[in-house]
Amino acid sequence: MVIPGVQLFFSYFKDLVGREVTVELKNDLAIRGTLHSVDQYLNIKLENTRVVDQDKYPHMVKPNSFFYFFPPSRLSVRNCFIRGSVVRYVQLPPEGVDVELLHDATRREARGG
Amino acid sequence: MATGLRLVTERAGNGVGKPVIDTDNGEELMLVHPGVSIVLGNRPPEFPGTLYISNKQIWWLSDTDRAKGYAVDFLSVSLHAVSRDPEAYPSPCIFTQIETPAVDDELVDSDSESETLNLSKITQMRLVPSDPSQLNMLFAIFCQCAELNPDPTEEEESVHNWIFSADQLEDEDEEDEDSEWPVFQNPTHPIGANGNHDLAHSVFQLQINDQRFEDAEEMEQYDKNGHQ
Repeated sequence: MVIPGVQLFFSYFKDLVGREVTVELKNDLAIRGTLHSVDQYLNIKLENTRVVDQDKYPHMVKPNSFFYFFPPSRLSVRNCFIRGSVVRYVQLPPEGVDVELLHDATRREARGG
Repeated sequence: MATGLRLVTERAGNGVGKPVIDTDNGEELMLVHPGVSIVLGNRPPEFPGTLYISNKQIWWLSDTDRAKGYAVDFLSVSLHAVSRDPEAYPSPCIFTQIETPAVDDELVDSDSESETLNLSKITQMRLVPSDPSQLNMLFAIFCQCAELNPDPTEEEESVHNWIFSADQLEDEDEEDEDSEWPVFQNPTHPIGANGNHDLAHSVFQLQINDQRFEDAEEMEQYDKNGHQ
């Protein structure tokens, strides 16, 4: 389940800290790891970080690319800090999201909280 | 706005010198760490040099060439990480990804600016300390300084809240009304996709302006009886 939007993700961190998430950046790169913490700017700290399967992003495989330095088959990056402003999506584990709560939160947000 | 990596040719002080810190604008040094080599993109490592971390940017100054140095502001650092996998890079290092600025190639027409142009295209930078045991400390400093440099917004938030657990969030529900639902200033990610249109305010104003609701009392009772 992919959720764009800072407010909703920030409110659901409590179900996600310690869970595996995949962070997709605005430059199309995707990084998977264990969510350590998140702040109000959506800065994300991950542990056990690795790059998502290269095959999913074949067009990004270039000598100077992120993938070249971090072969996805290895846990080459442990602790990682991702700037909130470069996050496009955070992919959540489907079983970790309560859809009813999410709908309620969306309605509250639309009404101005 | 990301400015990317830039060349630093000016220094303060004598001898090897130090970076020119913009103290007038609140910049201050947080850490000075010697014995660091820098690797830009897939260029060979440059060494020896000293790493300077301020609350606004990362500097690397060559110990041997006073005219050679590089700097990048934290606004341009998309991510940073500790890299220990020898397959990724032979030496343990801090890996950073740099957001490059949009460069107008038409503006650059001389050889002297080509290095500047090349640096502005650098998307990856590694900092390799001589002592790998310092990596965690360096990573922590990078995190702290990155947190000090959120994207500029209209509203200033002085409290920086890292949330680590559900309990922490529940406590903050009671204490700080701003923490759970931060007012989100970036208009490019609105819920409801109405840009800056504030739906809640519009509805409220509609109710105020609508004359039909003023004499509601008698009508309400009628409605209640009528709709039972």
